[in-house]
Amino acid sequence: MSRCEDRTSDILLYIDNALTGQKLEDFRAHLAVCSNCREHLEEELALSSLLREARPLYLAPRALRARVAAAATEQDSGFSPASDRSRKTRMQNLTRWSRDVIQPAFSWKPLAVMTLVLVLGLVFIPGAVERVRATNYVEAATEIHRSYLDGALPLQCRSHSPEVVTAWFAGKTPFHFQLPASQFVPNGKAVYWLTGARLVSYKGSPAALVAYETPSEKISLLVASSKSAIVAGGEEVRSGGLTFHYRSGTNSEVITWTNHGLAYALVASLVGSPQHSCLVCHQNMADQNLVEH
Amino acid sequence: MGVTFPPEKRLFLSQVLDEVLDGLYGYAMVLSRDRTEAEDLVQETCVRAVQAIESLQPASNVKSWLFTILRNIWLNQLRQRRAAPKIVELDVDESTAELAVETSKDPHALYVSKVEREQVREAIQQLSKGFREIIVLREYGELSYQEIANVLGCPAGTVMSRLGRARSKLRSLLSDSLRTPDRRAKGGAE
Repeated sequence: MSRCEDRTSDILLYIDNALTGQKLEDFRAHLAVCSNCREHLEEELALSSLLREARPLYLAPRALRARVAAAATEQDSGFSPASDRSRKTRMQNLTRWSRDVIQPAFSWKPLAVMTLVLVLGLVFIPGAVERVRATNYVEAATEIHRSYLDGALPLQCRSHSPEVVTAWFAGKTPFHFQLPASQFVPNGKAVYWLTGARLVSYKGSPAALVAYETPSEKISLLVASSKSAIVAGGEEVRSGGLTFHYRSGTNSEVITWTNHGLAYALVASLVGSPQHSCLVCHQNMADQNLVEH
Repeated sequence: MGVTFPPEKRLFLSQVLDEVLDGLYGYAMVLSRDRTEAEDLVQETCVRAVQAIESLQPASNVKSWLFTILRNIWLNQLRQRRAAPKIVELDVDESTAELAVETSKDPHALYVSKVEREQVREAIQQLSKGFREIIVLREYGELSYQEIANVLGCPAGTVMSRLGRARSKLRSLLSDSLRTPDRRAKGGAE
């Protein structure tokens, strides 16, 4: 074995950017004088490039992905009393939320959120058209939003472009949906913007989590098939032929609606004054006449 | 650094499973060389992981833990059969193997990508089991050297040296596909 054969590990670490400090300096110095190792490095880089281009080598079949998600969910409900308890607690919280709603009108007022709700509600173009009842959608959306805020659900696709995010979801969810091509911009000033997306699991099936931000807040939108997500309850607001249901809690607020077989849940933990009215939110929007209380 | 669990461990596990599923399936394919067996392996891994997630320590590395579970299930099955794994010709039909296809590429790029992927898969299948395993864990499971060491139950140094030899062999097998002529192909490897 030649002396340079001992450099194989260094070459691999160098390719992975895992060679640091004095070892990195030593390796660079060696490369400068050793054509053999430079050639070896080029070969390894070419191989790495070829292997990367072949990713993923195998793609898990969609049916397997669905079964795995289902197995996780079924086990979750069947094997953990603690989980059942926490679920009951969360349901009690939701009940308390409903009782505690004291705002007689549409109390989720910030312009950004209402704008987002209406734009998404009116412009989404879903493909599936089915409607089956299910439960706990608000609860799941709130939980997922909290995990997203905590950093436990990092975005898998980061982009401000609705087209990029729409394309990223293609084939990843059992339903097709399309983000609005551009956001609604009243008075030419963006009040929210898209930041990215990721896949999450809801009742054993892949669901879409789309992330938005305002200057002061992170907002998440959970999209699932309405086969498994029921949208009901809370205070109802009709707009553009859709019925929006909103619930206001102490830390977060949720608006849900269905459209063309998909269930949407928009969640935010808003701060600031809730003293605005719907017309304040919509005074500059062409759709203000669409809102009915 | 390990992964810190959020309050809902299972939700987190569900997300990790979703992220590493292609890698797990690829590893299962390399071990079993059979699509049905690979699917069963992955599904069984999921079930075992969900059952055990509550007892997993917060600092544990969930990703390498999942690969370890899959490998242990496979080894147990091998022991139970008391026979060598059956060798099944791999289905390289892209439509049935559900290979990833980047639709944004032009047709020529798509064709080149498809051909290269098939060549890589064939080359990997020609490697010995140990080499095959380590290449797939590193390049397609995207595990770190230490994570691979955890899965295989060997020192990280052994992983490095074995990976170096596996890559050398792979370069030989793929020398036609690599732009750089493989000088090591002349002398052979492994």
